[in-house]
Amino acid sequence: MSASRNRELLALVPVALLLTAGFAAVFAQNDNQLTNLSLSYGLYFLAICLATHIYIRIRLPNADPYLFPLMALLTAFGLVMLYRLDAEMGSELARDQANWFVIGLILFAVVIQFFKDYSVLERYRYTIALISLGLLMAPRLPVIGSQVNGAYLGISLGPISFQPAELAKIGIVIFLASYLREHRELLVVGARRFLGITFPPLKHLGPLLVVWGAAMFMLIFIRDLGSSLMFFAAFLALIYVATGRLSFVVIGMAMFLAGAWVIYHTVPHVTDRVDIWLDPYQDPSGAGYQILQSMFAMADGGLFGEGFAQAMVVIPGTDAPLLPAAQTDLIYTLITSELGLFGACAIIATYLLVAARGFKVALLANDGFSKLLATGLTTVFAFQAFVIIGGVTRVIPLTGVTLPLVSYGGSSILANFILLALLLLISDRARREAREGI
Amino acid sequence: MDYEPISVALKFGFLAVLYLFLLWVAASARKDLKRNKGASFDGDATIGAPSAGSYDAWLIVARGGGLDAGTRFDVFGGVTLGRSSEADISFTDRYASGLHARLYPRGDRYFLEDMNSTNGTLLDGGAVTSEAEVRDGSMIEIGDTAFRFELDRP
Repeated sequence: MSASRNRELLALVPVALLLTAGFAAVFAQNDNQLTNLSLSYGLYFLAICLATHIYIRIRLPNADPYLFPLMALLTAFGLVMLYRLDAEMGSELARDQANWFVIGLILFAVVIQFFKDYSVLERYRYTIALISLGLLMAPRLPVIGSQVNGAYLGISLGPISFQPAELAKIGIVIFLASYLREHRELLVVGARRFLGITFPPLKHLGPLLVVWGAAMFMLIFIRDLGSSLMFFAAFLALIYVATGRLSFVVIGMAMFLAGAWVIYHTVPHVTDRVDIWLDPYQDPSGAGYQILQSMFAMADGGLFGEGFAQAMVVIPGTDAPLLPAAQTDLIYTLITSELGLFGACAIIATYLLVAARGFKVALLANDGFSKLLATGLTTVFAFQAFVIIGGVTRVIPLTGVTLPLVSYGGSSILANFILLALLLLISDRARREAREGI
Repeated sequence: MDYEPISVALKFGFLAVLYLFLLWVAASARKDLKRNKGASFDGDATIGAPSAGSYDAWLIVARGGGLDAGTRFDVFGGVTLGRSSEADISFTDRYASGLHARLYPRGDRYFLEDMNSTNGTLLDGGAVTSEAEVRDGSMIEIGDTAFRFELDRP
């Protein structure tokens, strides 16, 4: 029983060590002196992680041992990179992020405390869906809404700004998992095979059409291709797991591409984004600046990178940014530039391992809702990483979603630790039942 | 840049520890996967996760259950049967338990398992203990309700 918890404890040690090494390297570069301050940061981080570990040990003794250390590793990566930006720009992003990390872990504990029986979430699925849709629409409201680079992703209430899509993604996954658990039978009944592909009956394409409509609506309304893609991918993964039919995924993807193509030709902001993606050199000092600088910075990294705090973030002698939004959009670029191809692959491998552990939770779970919820949460997390990493490497158009747990941003940290809490709750129940042979 | 060697050493040290950590997690995750498969006796018979080689199969209502005779239920990927609304195929029968039985594929074959129901499950007239293979044309009886099983194996 405690074997998995001991593994978790053991895994937290190298994570704290990495944070210490990262901070020490930034210190060494900027202050030209090694102080024991970096060591104390590492110890603080380890202490916070240990407190969380003890809480998990008491409340969820059977939960997956690797998910928390992997997510702590991502947070540590983010803290080192933000600290490195602070040293150059005189900001206090790392301190803010560390505060959000602590608040996130408190929220994580609260979710575990009050949703031990997470099936109650199923009962409130329509409420949760409505709140989530409200959150998604909030950035378009006149007073509190705010527009960044043409996309409506944030709301600001006085000094606090917030990205509601981060929380909405969890709510929408809960709703879809619960809805599909109940209706998956309807979706597969009466399917017909044609040309080797199993087609669902037309009348049951309804839910697919509704979610597709919602994704297209988001694309027009919020103007953010990334979050629209993220939600739709989570939906397709869920419907695939619920029905076992690849045809839903194929039809869904075709519909998304067709819809995106039409919107590309009709919504000016989306047109701009896609054009810059296809040809960033058409406006190298304006709209194409961010993506071009991102590519050059990554190329500078080479195999092993330039070293901590060595990448050029601002143009020397000025305040003009060489890497715009290095703390959010381009944090992956910064990591690639300073730690090279090997560092970049390590980050991607970390996300892959999180995804593998998440799907493992889904495989072990016994009931349909747990399976679907674990699948959905994992997909939305992994896909968010894909959308932003794909964005800065010019695989897909660059959008404003955060790199989960690494990018600077309170709402992202809070939402992802709620997501982790739910995954661990599902995993604790599933692994306990697997052990007892149910 | 007095400390440059330290910087370089820290960078490579960081990458080395990072990769060792990730390899350790990946390796022990693989061990974990194996152990769990051995522990559960039908590890790949999870509901809702069809195994790669499974074929399409249907249950057709023969009589009872408050369902129209001839109704076809797709059971691809496995289903649960019972009186509760939690069951994938839910029907009304006073002899049926909430979650009475389940049907799932393993490889290219389908199996029926009685889930400790009060009144038992009959497959082609014989009581099902633990699990039994269902073949094309098999009759499954739960209380007064009967289903015919159809397997679409080419």
